[in-house]
Amino acid sequence: MLDFFVAVITALKGLFRRLFGEQWTALTAYTNRKLSELDDWARQETARSLSDLDEVPEVTFKRMVSVIVRSYPFMRPMLFHIVNIFVVGFLLTFLFTFTGAIASDMWDNKMLVNDKLQPAQSVVILVDDTYVKSEYLSDEENAAVEEAGFAGEDLTAEQRRTVRNRMLVWFFIGEVFGIVLLGFYSYYPSWVWQNVNHYLRVAMVERLEHLSLSFHHSNRAGDAIYRIYQDSSMVVNVLQEVIIGPLEDMRGLFIGILFLLAFDPMLLLVCLASFVPMTILTVKGTPIIRRLAVANRVLNSDFTSRLQETFAAIKIFKANAAEQIAFDRFEVDSQKALDAALYIRFGMILLSMLVGIIGGLTVIGLEYLVVEWTVYERATHVPSWLLVIVGYQVWNLAAYRNAEGRMNQVTGGARGFVRLWCMWQDLFIGLERAFYFLDLKPTVFDAADPTEFPKPVMSVAWRDVHYAYEEDNPVLEGVNLQADAGTITAIVGNTGSGKSTLMTLLLRLYDPTSGTVTINDVDLRALRIDDIRANVAIAMQKNVLFTGKVRDNIGFGMTRIDDEAVRRAAEIACADEFITELEDGYHTELGDRGSKLSSGQRQRLTIARAIVRDTPILILDEPTASLDARTEHRVLQNLSEWGREKVVFLITHRLSTIRNADNIAFLEDGRIVETGSHEDLMSVPDGRYRRFVEAEEIGLAEST
Amino acid sequence: MIKFMRAVIARRRVNRDVDTTQKDHSILSGFKAGAQFDDQLDTEHELTHGEAMLIVLRGAYYVRYVWKLFLAKWLLGTAIIVPGLFIGWFWKIITDHIILQQPLVADEVNFPPHMNWLLRMLEGRDPMEIMVILTTVYVIGLFLIGTRVGGTGAGLFGGRDTASNAENQISSGGSSAGGLWGIVEWWVDVRVTQRFVNAMRGNLFRRLIRSPMTTIDDHRVGDSLYRTLYDTPMVYTCLTEITFSPFYTFVGLGLTFYQLWWTYADVSIQLILLLALMLPITMITTIAPSRWIRRLSQNARAASAATTNALEQTMNNITAVQSLGGMKQEKENFAKRSAHAFWRTRIQMFPWVGVGVIIEIAGWPIGFYLSWHVTNLVIDGQLTVGDFAALFGMYMGLRGTFIGLGRLWLNIQDQAAAARRVFRFLDAPIDEDAHRGELELPPIEHDVAFENVSYTYPNGTQALKQVNLSLPFNQVIAFVGPTGSGKTSLAYLIPAFLKASEGQVRVDGHDVIEADLTSLRDQIAYIFQEHLLLSESIRSNLLIANPAATDAQLTEALTTAGCMEFIEQLPHGIDTVLGRSGDTLSVGQQQRLSIARGLIRDAKILILDEPTAALDPQTENLLVDSLRTASKGRLVVVIAHRLSTIRQADHIVFLEEGQVREVGSHDELMQRTDGPYQEFVHLQSSEAATA
Repeated sequence: MLDFFVAVITALKGLFRRLFGEQWTALTAYTNRKLSELDDWARQETARSLSDLDEVPEVTFKRMVSVIVRSYPFMRPMLFHIVNIFVVGFLLTFLFTFTGAIASDMWDNKMLVNDKLQPAQSVVILVDDTYVKSEYLSDEENAAVEEAGFAGEDLTAEQRRTVRNRMLVWFFIGEVFGIVLLGFYSYYPSWVWQNVNHYLRVAMVERLEHLSLSFHHSNRAGDAIYRIYQDSSMVVNVLQEVIIGPLEDMRGLFIGILFLLAFDPMLLLVCLASFVPMTILTVKGTPIIRRLAVANRVLNSDFTSRLQETFAAIKIFKANAAEQIAFDRFEVDSQKALDAALYIRFGMILLSMLVGIIGGLTVIGLEYLVVEWTVYERATHVPSWLLVIVGYQVWNLAAYRNAEGRMNQVTGGARGFVRLWCMWQDLFIGLERAFYFLDLKPTVFDAADPTEFPKPVMSVAWRDVHYAYEEDNPVLEGVNLQADAGTITAIVGNTGSGKSTLMTLLLRLYDPTSGTVTINDVDLRALRIDDIRANVAIAMQKNVLFTGKVRDNIGFGMTRIDDEAVRRAAEIACADEFITELEDGYHTELGDRGSKLSSGQRQRLTIARAIVRDTPILILDEPTASLDARTEHRVLQNLSEWGREKVVFLITHRLSTIRNADNIAFLEDGRIVETGSHEDLMSVPDGRYRRFVEAEEIGLAEST
Repeated sequence: MIKFMRAVIARRRVNRDVDTTQKDHSILSGFKAGAQFDDQLDTEHELTHGEAMLIVLRGAYYVRYVWKLFLAKWLLGTAIIVPGLFIGWFWKIITDHIILQQPLVADEVNFPPHMNWLLRMLEGRDPMEIMVILTTVYVIGLFLIGTRVGGTGAGLFGGRDTASNAENQISSGGSSAGGLWGIVEWWVDVRVTQRFVNAMRGNLFRRLIRSPMTTIDDHRVGDSLYRTLYDTPMVYTCLTEITFSPFYTFVGLGLTFYQLWWTYADVSIQLILLLALMLPITMITTIAPSRWIRRLSQNARAASAATTNALEQTMNNITAVQSLGGMKQEKENFAKRSAHAFWRTRIQMFPWVGVGVIIEIAGWPIGFYLSWHVTNLVIDGQLTVGDFAALFGMYMGLRGTFIGLGRLWLNIQDQAAAARRVFRFLDAPIDEDAHRGELELPPIEHDVAFENVSYTYPNGTQALKQVNLSLPFNQVIAFVGPTGSGKTSLAYLIPAFLKASEGQVRVDGHDVIEADLTSLRDQIAYIFQEHLLLSESIRSNLLIANPAATDAQLTEALTTAGCMEFIEQLPHGIDTVLGRSGDTLSVGQQQRLSIARGLIRDAKILILDEPTAALDPQTENLLVDSLRTASKGRLVVVIAHRLSTIRQADHIVFLEEGQVREVGSHDELMQRTDGPYQEFVHLQSSEAATA
């Protein structure tokens, strides 16, 4: 058997070589060259864009299964509906095929050709026995029919019209039914699959928001947008296109194979033999397609990032008259993204064209053979028991038609599968990229058995805290500091000395590399992150405002916004005065990034945001840098009044502010080098703080 | 395996907080006009039919960008119809004249006339000989035009929303041919679409980044992204819908007539006339819903853009979100918008399905009449059973064609809505529109003067009133005043970020309005309060400001701004890539980098908005010193609150409520008792003293 198989292939190969050797060699050479060019391109671009090549998603069978399994949780809430869609869909297809078969029999064979009905058919259109074939009637009934003058095997013209009319009524009913279903079944699956995609998107966003900042610092915002918008959408295709669709196609292929086997095993064998080069081509091409798919997604994500970053920083390009530079960069990235989208598809097309040519040649060759057999009326291999049903003992027109259809089905099916295979590569790479986010573990996470947040807060302390963003570049190197309730601690030090970092550790945005941060001597790591952040309020140095109303910005992060509390907080931050002058007061919509306001106003909103949360711990990071002296003075006075029972941290360069603090901690080279009140520290001869104050005073003195 | 699956499934609880069902919105409410999303600029989005028509035509006019490729695509697509006219008849030859072995005589068989020359070639040959010829044609055709294989196309999977289908829309391409021809035509098709969309995107991008300062704040980044990426592809679809679609429909119709003429001449005329009725019926049916489709499409896009906004904002401000414990709120915000956008996308189906149903119902009388009429003819023996099948097949095909033509207007609505979103920002004024000055400014050397300058914001707030001021070169000038006193507005007037509502701003006597914008801005470096850094290397952040800067210049600017000390500690020095929005650096470091970026431009006028706010006194002193040095041959304007910075300025301009109260050096102003500046200083120092 195998010998025969090999012989057939060799013979075909020889024949083929002789006929189309030159063209084929040229074509394959061209294709090979083109594909390897594309492959190199994909590798280069991907490598340029991803710092870490390990991130390139691999598509192996195991991972495909894993991706499918991992999609399941997002389908589970919709499971009932998904099953519903497929079951109802299947039943409807069945119903339509079944009724269609009956209808076409009645319409064509009975009404048009003129023949009497089957008994069941007469029931459906409510006609009497005179329409029914005599063989299904009892003798008395036949006698009655004869008596009525409707004997014989034909319908009268009048009867045919009646059948036609009643069938038209049924068609009408069917149409109405069909239309209702059409409407419902175009909406229903959309709802279901959109929900599935939605759950995945939300899960991705949720995970991203909880990932630590070090992740966000090294990843572009545009990439997250691309993954959540584009990559995640592939989840809607997993069930239909990877599992159910191919199964349906398989059914067609299987039937085709059975038919061919029945006609002539030789036909089947040649068709199957054509699968061999198809498979070889696909196996060779797949890694390239895969890399092109990765390049496509990566470069399109880069393009999205480029746009996002430019749009977010338009001012910079404008101020530097660098619009042209921005546009040039846009052009480069845009072209790359478009090229990538073209190349992956070109790869697919080359592959499916080659596969198509193999399939086409097979069919054309076999068709010639079959036509010859038909002309000479060669016997088929249809087994004798089947001949009772179909009249294909020798090759005839119907047999030729049928065989041709089946050959096309088999080779076309294989070609379709190759195409689908290519699309799968892209689909799985998309999903891998989406699930990549879900796989990332936040480095800061809740303890398995968190302790209750200690109340009231008595003290906050850093004990021998070390921290480094990057391994060789330590920021904090053994910080020891304690702050008690009812005190204001000013953190002083040069730009970049780690003041803000110290505070982010208190918020648990990061965990210290070693040492502990404690509240009432409880390690922060034992507490729930949400509890910590609910009890620590921060007014940040960067005055980040969100799009939305003034009121929502002040109440950001709160579950319930109390308008009265918002107003009171705004008053303390001296923001109430300008808010009430805005068009819609507290309901004024702020522009993107809140930049409709002057920076002094933004800063006061940020302060109000920290105040409104009324937490036992308050951090003010450069709270007054953009305020004029008068406003600053008022804000600070209000704050010291308001924060009497709290632990307050103040990061600032302004001497006037620093002096008011109960305790000053001077941070240098990652350590607290001096602590104490202003007077204490000023009395240290040649102390670091004293030198710092003097530097500021020189600035003042020079011009007075 | 099962264990693994269980583990995977058990690990995730899917969050169902907000699902896409919009319980508080009835579907009808989705059809209402005037839905508003968080867009501040594009709030009027209803279109009349006339406006929609204009938009479509305008979209089509952009064909000029790609007309050569477009023509090539057209020719390739049209030419490929020809071989089909021949090869399509091969099956009949194989059936009738090879398998059934009927004699083949050119003028006696029922073929359309164009087949005659081919038939003459085959005339009188042995059936298997004919088969050899046909097979050879098939094989050659297979390589050239993909005979027996079908068309070329390369769609990848898309999702259930608009955004995830945009890429396919641009890059799938298509050809009705296979083989070599198919690849060529496909390539041309993809490229023509890509070029067109790229040009549209480029135009839009160029306009967006040139938006005037007054509207930049109102642009949502996510919305701009959405328009550039996902709305632009629809403009090309507009173009094909009004060119290719009707053209090929008519060609198809013509060919059908031609081929049918030789088979069912009498009946087909009646049939065609009857079916032509579908055209007006469809057109009338689609007029009302086309307005809804436009509106729903616009709203679905706006809702999706709002989702992008939410996502972009969270990602870009993640530090703030996490510090303030806003994760849950932001997630819910995103979930709510995502759900709403999906709902909006979904309800777009209703008018389509509705129109489909109405057209279907409108077609029933014709269909039923035809069935009734032709079956009567069959029953009466005037037509055969085969004729019914052929005619019914024709009915279905032609019906589709006529409905397609009638729906043309309807089909374009979705694209018109998207195209409007693109054109909305293409038409929005940019700096260059309001500023038509052409004067090439010579290097500025003397001064900047404000003459009776007033400025009123578009919303009516008056920021500056009657400012008269001269800022001479070789000086450091400080703008001082309470928050909201108009300092930044005044500074914005110099590089024409804002245009004076009254009066003139002159540099060396030239009104800035008359100056060419590039020649003006090239000489001014403006350093903003917000430290906007790109997540690129420090070097390329600086090179944006001056692409020609040498390494020595870079180092000099970085040293002056006090950046070198921390850059030297970074693992890759000046080539260190910054995190998102520069967040890997401390705010003070970001500020210093922003200043260095301003210095590297070596501009004649240097404006710094609050440059020292986040700096420690030492760095501040160094910076102010270097600014003083830099002011030789330049004008340095500093907006500041810090006394220590202000005092060192040569001139102080004290602003209050949009008016210049006092001008002079620190000493001069301090001598005026009861002057507002003196009071301002007094407050700061007294505060310092009382502590």
